[in-house]
Amino acid sequence: MLKMFSPGLWLVLLLAAGSTVLIALLPVRQQAGMEMWLFDANHAKIANLIATDWNRDHPKNPVQIHLITGAAIQSRMMSGFYSDTPVADLIEVERGMIGQVFAGPLADVGFMDLTNRLNREGLRTGINEPSFSPWTSRGHIFGLPHDVHPVMLLYRADLVAAAHIDMSTIETWDDYFRIMRPLMVDLDGDGRVDRFLLNASPTSIYYHEVMLLQAGGRMFDDQNHPTINEPLNAAIIARLATWYVGPNHVASEVPLGGASSMRLIREGYVVGMLAPDWFAGGIRSGLPDMAGKFKVMPLPAWEKGGRRTSVLGGTMLGITKASRTPEAAWAFAKALYLSPLTAERLYDEARIVNPIKANWNQPFYDVPDPYFCGQPIGRLYIQLAPDVPLRPSSAFYGQASQVMNLAIIQLCQYADDHQLYDAHALEPEAQRLLDGAQRELQAQMDRNVFLRATR
Amino acid sequence: MKNSRLHSPWTPWLFLAPFLLSFGAFFAWPAIRSLMLSFEQTFGPKTTAFVGLTNFRYMLHDPFFWTAVGNTVVFTLAAVLVQVPVALALALLLNRSDLRGRRVFRMIFFAPSIVGVAFVAIIYSLILEKRTGFINGSLHSLFPAWDPDFPWLEHYVMPSLILAQAWLSAGFYMVYFLAALQHVPGELVDAAEIDGAGPWQRFRHVTLPEIRPVLNLILLLVVVGSLQIFELPYLLYNETNGNGPENKALSIVTYLYQTGFRSGDLGYASAIGWLLTLVLVGFALVQRRLTQKEEL
Repeated sequence: MLKMFSPGLWLVLLLAAGSTVLIALLPVRQQAGMEMWLFDANHAKIANLIATDWNRDHPKNPVQIHLITGAAIQSRMMSGFYSDTPVADLIEVERGMIGQVFAGPLADVGFMDLTNRLNREGLRTGINEPSFSPWTSRGHIFGLPHDVHPVMLLYRADLVAAAHIDMSTIETWDDYFRIMRPLMVDLDGDGRVDRFLLNASPTSIYYHEVMLLQAGGRMFDDQNHPTINEPLNAAIIARLATWYVGPNHVASEVPLGGASSMRLIREGYVVGMLAPDWFAGGIRSGLPDMAGKFKVMPLPAWEKGGRRTSVLGGTMLGITKASRTPEAAWAFAKALYLSPLTAERLYDEARIVNPIKANWNQPFYDVPDPYFCGQPIGRLYIQLAPDVPLRPSSAFYGQASQVMNLAIIQLCQYADDHQLYDAHALEPEAQRLLDGAQRELQAQMDRNVFLRATR
Repeated sequence: MKNSRLHSPWTPWLFLAPFLLSFGAFFAWPAIRSLMLSFEQTFGPKTTAFVGLTNFRYMLHDPFFWTAVGNTVVFTLAAVLVQVPVALALALLLNRSDLRGRRVFRMIFFAPSIVGVAFVAIIYSLILEKRTGFINGSLHSLFPAWDPDFPWLEHYVMPSLILAQAWLSAGFYMVYFLAALQHVPGELVDAAEIDGAGPWQRFRHVTLPEIRPVLNLILLLVVVGSLQIFELPYLLYNETNGNGPENKALSIVTYLYQTGFRSGDLGYASAIGWLLTLVLVGFALVQRRLTQKEEL
């Protein structure tokens, strides 16, 4: 038997067996205290700051902060929820990740239901109400909101000033495009426009929702039933199509993030950008040499007297059901998210407005920001916070965005094919496309036996 | 004595054990489990509901699935028509003894296979980007009438994928062809030349039959690889989760991934996976049958 294998093979087999036994015998080290996963470096900086104080005051229940990429958090989190693999006690979740969490039975949502706690401790009324919507499923709130993310129009103040344009008279999108039109110019003499008025295109999946919500459209109703084909949605996308295509189109896309995006913004490829607070903060840190060249203003309304803001993005902090110390996790979550220090650091680092209404009176929001030509942008965003539209929390939000986006692309194609660039004339086709989108989405939703039971 | 031990009835099983264990753990059991899952709807592996043939029935009417099938078939056909001839042409070129700098060219053509799909996808998207991309920038410099905002990646979704995949893989398959070409007996080619055969006739009647086994292998690899395309569209059209504008980049495996790992519906994803498996096995059997006929 011994001579069946060479000495080298025996050595390999022995090493394999030895290491297996060694690993099996190694004691599993119980992690002391709590663990928190988050995906944003700015958030991690602030969490570490709060955690230092927390760990000093709670030596038996310290918290460890782990900065992990969003995709990795989503995989690990969902593996934990699906199969009980280890997950952190506290997880910061970005809006795009949450739909998957809500796709199963309510009992299988991996986060603790915070509804009663929030009501009992009076926190519900102290937090900006619209900020709860993405984290609410079937009437239950599963996370503390991190932000508000109102959207304003960030525009190139230097270009506007050079063209002697008075922005104060702009109230609606029609006003905006009419008054700003002189800025759409051919800069290099090739006969083509090199500067557009808005950063959006038929494929801007994120911006379509911004515009839809601002105009009063919606992809789901309060009960998360799909409402893709509501006539208002058709009217909105017909109008969007006229911005995107045709000889007089006014919008062109700057990708969300990345070096080429920064280059285009620096070159003034688009004069106005749909800018939630985090986007304005990103521009400020990404293009520091452009100080004094940008300003913000409320979004032009779709109709006179209409809503002047929208919403884009969002993050929550959830406590996992796997947490061995849920009370301590809840206490830390409150220490982190309700603290005025967090609000100040968040604004300082990223220009993000905190959703805790009590913090809105803090003076740092009123400090003029030289980067934005001395505007106190924190205060300007806060003024719009109560008017932020509700975001859907449906497990089918991603699919709804996709079918809606597809309808817009097809409508733009139809407009080009028929040389039809009038919003009213495009509405019937928009309605037809949205009817198809609604049917597709409904078919997908009807297939989900877990959600069907609760509908 | 030694001999009888070696011929013990357990000896073959001892040798087979590592394979059988790993085959059972990593192939047989997952395959059986996924077949079971294809008759269920799931929210992860824990929460399941038996739905019978619902997943397969839904698949028949699922427009996303059929879009993915259409895109994947078009991509596969185009991959065969582009990658194989390009790889063969490059190999024929590099097989010429009078070509100077053959090693350098070989390295250049093979390089994309070394750096991998992520790198190729990033470079490719940077080259084709609107306004700031190399292609649009160059064309606009040369021809001022050229629109620097021309959306290559949005307008030409499938051609973009096909070209990027050809760039990535042609060099890899070229190496196979090159190895096969170097084993074509020189005397056969010389004899054909003496008999008055031109370059095309020599290629058609001497070289091609000699390299046919490798050609068959490459065809199989290209088809199987193309039917499983995932990373390239996922990276090139990341903003739409790999779907691309109007779902023009959506492939079967991308849809399977989205269904299983983004929506948590492992049941429907398994049903899609089994259908793909059947297609792949079917193709392999047809290809094998054709190859056997040729060999006979």
